[in-house]
Amino acid sequence: MQQPSIFSPKPQGMTLSEFNARIEQVLNNDARLRSQWVIAETSDLRLNRSGHCYTELIEKDDQGTTIAKVGAAIWASNYGSLYHKFLKATGQVLTTGMKVLVNVTATFHRLYGIKVIINDIDPSYTMGDMERQRQEIINRLKEAGVFEMNKQLPWPDVPQRVAIVSAAGAAGYGDFMNQLGHNPYGLQFYACLFPAVMQGAQTVPTVLAALDRINRHIDLFDCVVIIRGGGATSELNSFDNYDLANEVAQFPIPVIVGIGHERDVTVLDYVAAMSVKTPTAAAEWLIQRGTNALAHLDELQDAVVNAVRDTVAEAREHLAYFTSLIPAVARGIIDTNRIKLDNYTRNIPFAANNLIANQQTRLERALERMADAVKTAMHREQQRLQALDEKATLLSPVNTLQRGYALVRKDGKCATAADQLHPGDQVTMQFADGAANATVN
Amino acid sequence: MEENKEMTYTQAVTELEQLVQKMQDPQCSIDNLTDYTKRSKELLDICRKKLTAADEQLKQILATIQQQA
Repeated sequence: MQQPSIFSPKPQGMTLSEFNARIEQVLNNDARLRSQWVIAETSDLRLNRSGHCYTELIEKDDQGTTIAKVGAAIWASNYGSLYHKFLKATGQVLTTGMKVLVNVTATFHRLYGIKVIINDIDPSYTMGDMERQRQEIINRLKEAGVFEMNKQLPWPDVPQRVAIVSAAGAAGYGDFMNQLGHNPYGLQFYACLFPAVMQGAQTVPTVLAALDRINRHIDLFDCVVIIRGGGATSELNSFDNYDLANEVAQFPIPVIVGIGHERDVTVLDYVAAMSVKTPTAAAEWLIQRGTNALAHLDELQDAVVNAVRDTVAEAREHLAYFTSLIPAVARGIIDTNRIKLDNYTRNIPFAANNLIANQQTRLERALERMADAVKTAMHREQQRLQALDEKATLLSPVNTLQRGYALVRKDGKCATAADQLHPGDQVTMQFADGAANATVN
Repeated sequence: MEENKEMTYTQAVTELEQLVQKMQDPQCSIDNLTDYTKRSKELLDICRKKLTAADEQLKQILATIQQQA
């Protein structure tokens, strides 16, 4: 083993606490690290026994990878007022996974390291972020074409068979059942609870499971009611969830949402067929449908009574009218017929004269037409005869003979060819003005 | 009437509305009035009963389902 040399130099360096004291001095004296507004996301937020609130402040990039991180604390002395301020504005308790705008001061402790102290919080930033998330979900549902689906379902006349999604022991569920069961109109409702956790991380999976169970008995129900009591420790953020909103939007029967939030709405309020503020209001709405139906039945009953009364009264009136009408109608018929008869009697001579005159005229016309016809026929015959005469004149041999021709007759017959004549034949030559005898040689 | 037991509220109220319309028609014969009135009374009873009288069988079914949950 080597002996340490007596000449080895004394180790050069300061203690860690000395070094940390320097960090502390630099950090705690830099104004740029005091009372700065910082945008961050809360992570792993918890309260310790002494009332201090610890959280990680983180920043994520677009891919969701954490790119900055620092431990933070709200001291108990400040936590109460910040808690209430935040709750009052947002309707939410400050919890893990929220986008926040916080006023912080960096501190350094030589034993615990760097920690930022949250002095103040601006809830409007968180509200804006929540609204943006909601809007994102709504846009996705609209793009998928399902946003309006549940709203467009037809309501039964009276939704009496109600599937309830709620926490069994919750005040809101009790209020709802009480209101529904003790309605003063004797309306019957059939409620069936499908339990779910209505706040915190288990909300979405348990509500989805409850809806799934309802779906298996869908024929037994007219509508679904999703309710939870109000209360100070609302963590409504759980309802601003795409999967849940998507399920409600596409649920095959109408969904009523009454998740007890006066200040703000969740995505479910936008997609559900009916949105009310509280469980009690949900019950009142159902009861109202029932009383409307009862009122409608009363109207129909009145209408039946009136229709019967009116029809009978009208029939009676008709009868009375006809009864009063008979003598007048009879008199009218007799009068009409008497007038007709008079007219006939008066008109017969005129009619007869007219008839005779008409026939005479017809006869005269016929005679005139006959005379005309005879005259026309005679004229036509004369013209024909004249034509024939002219033709006969044209064809007579006299004319031919006058032009110097002569007819040669042998034994009184006309010789029409040379071989009919032989030498020594006695022939007569007929000229226009007379005849001469000749001998053929 | 046996068939009435199977009627839903919507069916009964729809028939009732149609019947009232017929009765309100000026052409409605007084001969039909008795039958119409009788039927509308039946339908009114069915509707009111659907809204206000408990259906024990349905209650039983739902209670069973709730227990299973």
